Amino acid sequence: MENRIDLKDGLIKQNMVFMSGMLTAPIIACTTTLTKSLAVCFVFSVVSFFAILLCRLIPRTIVYTLRVTLYTIAAAVFYIPAIMLAELIFGTSVIQAAGVYLPVLITNQLILSKTETRFYLEPAGKMTADVLVFVIGFDISCTATGICRELLAFGTIGGAEVPILFTVPAMETTFGGFLFVGIGAGLFRAVYNYRKSRAEEPEEEDSLAEYAEDMGEFLVGKHSRAEKEKIKIYRAAAKKTKNVNELLDMEFLSNRDVLEAFEAIIAEGQEMVGEKSAEETEQADPEAAPAEAEIPSAEDGTDVPKEDGNGDIS
Amino acid sequence: MEIFLNIVSAALISIFVQNLIFERALGVNVLLYASRKKEHLFGFSGAIAYTTTVSAAIVWIFDTFLGENEYYRIIMPLIYILIVAVVYIGTLALIWRFLPKAFRALKKYVHLSVFNCSVIGALFLASQQGSDIFSYLGYGLGTGIGFLLAAYLLYTAAGRLNSPLVPAAFRGYPGMIVYVGILSLAFYAFTGYSTSVI
Repeated sequence: MENRIDLKDGLIKQNMVFMSGMLTAPIIACTTTLTKSLAVCFVFSVVSFFAILLCRLIPRTIVYTLRVTLYTIAAAVFYIPAIMLAELIFGTSVIQAAGVYLPVLITNQLILSKTETRFYLEPAGKMTADVLVFVIGFDISCTATGICRELLAFGTIGGAEVPILFTVPAMETTFGGFLFVGIGAGLFRAVYNYRKSRAEEPEEEDSLAEYAEDMGEFLVGKHSRAEKEKIKIYRAAAKKTKNVNELLDMEFLSNRDVLEAFEAIIAEGQEMVGEKSAEETEQADPEAAPAEAEIPSAEDGTDVPKEDGNGDIS
Repeated sequence: MEIFLNIVSAALISIFVQNLIFERALGVNVLLYASRKKEHLFGFSGAIAYTTTVSAAIVWIFDTFLGENEYYRIIMPLIYILIVAVVYIGTLALIWRFLPKAFRALKKYVHLSVFNCSVIGALFLASQQGSDIFSYLGYGLGTGIGFLLAAYLLYTAAGRLNSPLVPAAFRGYPGMIVYVGILSLAFYAFTGYSTSVI
């Protein structure tokens, strides 16, 4: 299967903190200092990396509804050595200050969702590298957040005083964290969009179509359906979505559940593809028709707006 | 009467004073997902309330008997996850057996509403702050109601936060996080100015 997955996605395009928001609780509430953010990074990296590698070995014959429990149990098992090492490295006081935000890392969506929707699609070697990139992407975001918030809240970095004109004590609080991450995510996306438009990358709807095609191929592999027909339907579904929320849903609803969750969209897309194909059959040579011709037009105004991809693609 | 008041006070604290979303930011990613559709609001909140309440009762037993063990805090996440997994699988099996229609509707997102930061975080907070089984139960119940409140507040604003009036880069996730932050600031008034972040 042709695999279009880009290994750099985890750093920027699908950054877990600023782009997809897959893991925000520890960032918002806990990373108020550099030391605490490093502790979060360490535990997250150890738990996620090894848990995902182990989860890949879990047979796919087990239904996802049950398999997800094994994922979290695997993460909880790796949490034990991770937290013991973290206590040795950072000291018990830092770990205790991090409170409940270290244990909750075992239920992060990188393990529970991305394993299903992305990592299973890749060969073992590529998957390992991809997981590493996602982990590094999170670590960079987490550390940067810790540095900025500590600087703004206390006027220090790693405990060392930095001469700044003023401090913003609210950065230590949860709502300060929300505002920091929200504004940070907006700016991150704005820069990403600007660079993307400068680089004249493919338009978002093409990315959506590619994403849908990847997912379509994945599902075809799992369900033995006619590949072309399935991909065609997913491309139509991708074009139909207003702000890719439906596609984002696939990150959470995985494997067989995706089919049911997408039933309505698929049915709609199928109808439109059928109508379009029928028209084309009458008007032109059907074999010569390009794939794009099968995508429904935006008659109801629900096509993907070009500027909409910035924020909503994960 | 005392039991009832214990449960109610613990629930009220977890809804307003220590709301899992606004005060702790636990389960924000699930909140963003749940607030997209009206039918998800009650489904997610109900699943979270049920799981935390039932699991909290079992957690209380483990906390009572193993709480003094010096290694307990290290294996707590594993024990809590096993408890949640047992509750999850047991409940799903019962629903599958007796309510197959409801099972088909639930299975699309039930895993997401059970295995997330808010459920496991609520159990840890109940363990830290609960004194008896009733406060554990109240905290579990309040967590679900608090989540429903947060999800509803976000749901009502979701249309505007995703409208073309919002700059493209802030549409969706960033705008929603900022909005939750502003709500969090409002909820902060319930706690006064002395609570710690953790």
